[in-house]
Amino acid sequence: MSNEPFKTHSFSATAQGLESSKEDWSELRSLLLAPEQSQLDELRERLDNPAIYARDVSRVLPDAFTLRGKGDQHLATALAPFVEEGFAAAVRKSPRAIVDAIAPIMGPAIRQAIVRTLQSMMQSLNYSLEQSLSARGLHWRIEAWRTGRPFAEVVLLHTLRYRVEQVFLIHRETGLLLHHVAADSVAVQDQHVVSGMLAAIQSYVQDSFGASKDQTLDHFQVGEWTVWIEEGSQAFLAGVIQGAPPTTLRQHFRDAMDRIQVQQADALSDFHGDTAPFTATHPYLESCLLAHYEAPPQRRAMGKWILGGVLLFGCAWWGWIAYQSHARWSHFLTQLKTEPGVVVTLAESTLGGYRLEGLRDPLAKDPSTMLIAAGLDPSKITAMWSPYYALHPSLITTRVHSMLQPPKTVTLTLESNILVASGSASVEWARDARHLAPFIPGISGYRDDSLMAISIPDLLLLVNHSVIRFNSGSSIVEPPELAKLQTVMAALRNLDLAASQSGRTVSLEVLGSADETGPETMNLQLSESRAHAVLAAIGGKQFSAATTITTGIDSPFLKQQRGSAGRSADKRIVLLHATLTEPPNTGEAVRP
Amino acid sequence: MQKKVCMLGGFAVGKTSLVRRFVTSLFSEQYHTTIGVSVEKKALSVDGEDVTLMLWDLYGDDEFQRIRESYLRGSSGYILVVDGTRKETLATALTLQQTVEGLLGPIPFAVIVNKSDVRAEWEVDDAALDELRQRGWSLFLGSAKTGDGVEPLFLTLADRMLRQAV
Ligand SMILES: Nc1nc2c(ncn2[C@@H]2O[C@H](COP(=O)(O)OP(=O)(O)OP(=O)(O)O)[C@@H](O)[C@H]2O)c(=O)[nH]1
Ligand SMILES: [Mg+2]
Repeated sequence: MSNEPFKTHSFSATAQGLESSKEDWSELRSLLLAPEQSQLDELRERLDNPAIYARDVSRVLPDAFTLRGKGDQHLATALAPFVEEGFAAAVRKSPRAIVDAIAPIMGPAIRQAIVRTLQSMMQSLNYSLEQSLSARGLHWRIEAWRTGRPFAEVVLLHTLRYRVEQVFLIHRETGLLLHHVAADSVAVQDQHVVSGMLAAIQSYVQDSFGASKDQTLDHFQVGEWTVWIEEGSQAFLAGVIQGAPPTTLRQHFRDAMDRIQVQQADALSDFHGDTAPFTATHPYLESCLLAHYEAPPQRRAMGKWILGGVLLFGCAWWGWIAYQSHARWSHFLTQLKTEPGVVVTLAESTLGGYRLEGLRDPLAKDPSTMLIAAGLDPSKITAMWSPYYALHPSLITTRVHSMLQPPKTVTLTLESNILVASGSASVEWARDARHLAPFIPGISGYRDDSLMAISIPDLLLLVNHSVIRFNSGSSIVEPPELAKLQTVMAALRNLDLAASQSGRTVSLEVLGSADETGPETMNLQLSESRAHAVLAAIGGKQFSAATTITTGIDSPFLKQQRGSAGRSADKRIVLLHATLTEPPNTGEAVRP
Repeated sequence: MQKKVCMLGGFAVGKTSLVRRFVTSLFSEQYHTTIGVSVEKKALSVDGEDVTLMLWDLYGDDEFQRIRESYLRGSSGYILVVDGTRKETLATALTLQQTVEGLLGPIPFAVIVNKSDVRAEWEVDDAALDELRQRGWSLFLGSAKTGDGVEPLFLTLADRMLRQAV
């Protein structure tokens, strides 16, 4: 066996020899290293077989974590993303479970937050209500408007008087005082004992009411002092406050507690009675030593304020109404005073309204309609009007028109109390007007030299005596006859006008005739065409509906009437016959 | 350094009287039962180190189950008070000790058998006292009325608490 190694060094080694030496080697190896070999195999098996390897690692994993975690933050840093991811996945997968798990923690916290918010809302609302009616309240409203801050905030800022006198930082479990600050000139009794008692009270309350750990004594009142307790997980802050602290002050306490908790996390969990580290919390505690000085608002009964407010409002309302109706009344009065035909001799306000006395032309505007138009209540106004004739030009004109009833063709104008009539009118109207005008109040004279007076009977006479002559066998109106017709037409026009103004009607017959020479039928035709020729010359279009024109043939009766058996020339004519018809049941127009 | 210490024992054994004697050096014959808890403070110097003891004087209740756990929490040590004139108060103290140890673990405590000024009336005999000593407990015989054994009681406990903390 000892010479074996030499064999390997032999240069004459053959392939066979090499083979046999290899076998020897392995034999030697197995002889020498058998126990180690099996151990190695076992180790390899352990390393290669994931099941065994996992089991082995699982045994040391917790210890490994603890060991590494103690040393530094690397483990936490390395795991953080996976934990986060895993948590997110878990939330996605089964949110219900997560909710169930965190509900007991979040529930009370949320409840408390809501309660606090509502409390501070209520408080600010109360203050706002109390202050909004006072003079000061008004002042603050202006300030709020000026500074752009909410009114409630301004009120709180002004009205509250409080002083945080002492702040205790107390270790929750032991009740030991961790740190304490007091405002200047505050007599501190024994803060350590107070601290212990506060903790004891806290425990007592919790035990007595079987409250859970998160339901703690939040504040209590001792005379004019309020003690606020702001809970942290291992410690709590207690503030002794004189006066009425605003709920917003709570936020200071909360903030201070939160900061202390973060800053002193280690010191709090390792606390064994050494309070030295907690001197570092001094600034936080001091930040809670807030105060606000101001004479306390004079708290009067809310009811009084409301009553006062209502009364004030009532007065203001009444004043406004009174002012408005007075303004309407004086406006109405000035209107009335400038109204033609109305003279106000007395205008006074009575208990329930107003009294008016004066003169009024019956033709003037009715004051009661003016009253309604001015927005006044007619039932509140008693008026006494004595009639009179007003000499105001507009009223004189109205009066003249109502008394004289002039036809449309007449124009009446006033030239300093002289009534001037122009245009045309019937003789009757012209006569009546001449009689009446001087008696109209305000009229001192009457002139009608530019008024054309028309007499209907004269016009009728003129028309009915007109004869249009024709040459033998002709139905042409010769120029001299046409000139004659012009005057007839002017008369007809006036007649038409007069008739239409008085509601009467004019009927005009145009009657043609012929001499006896020639056959009878020819003569009849000739008579008819002569009548038509005259009608055409007159031209019916220029008359109103009051005038109707008809054509016809002169009847034997008419010939007889004229009794002219004489010359044939007298028979080659056209006669006009106008008649005036009174309207049915139309009385004469009333004239004053 | 501050330490919370609870005074435990049956009713009227003299817990309040002991605290008052220790804190104010006063004593009153009148008995006003403690309602709930009363906290007192005493500043000491033990081996040159300043210690403030916060003494939680609990009301004595023989029904130990009703001892309020929340009052006990955070204590660094406690004092068991036995009324020498009433034997049953010793039993109460023993049960209380067990309860407290169950809640807070093996923290330092001391026992005082009170009212030594009326030793003649004692029901608690020497055999019972020996039994306590054999347990290795710090046992004191004293009186709130005379002040006997009061200082040593508190000082010993303070010392043990400080040594424990280090
Ligand atoms: N003679 C004598 N009387 C004592 C002594 N200590 C207390 N007392 C009296 O015992 C009574 C009860 O004492 P407290 O100190 O009030 O007893 P306590 O243990 O606090 O009682 P609770 O608060 O009800 O549990 C009082 O009347 C004390 O005067 C003492 O050392 N000697
Ligand atoms: Mg007592």
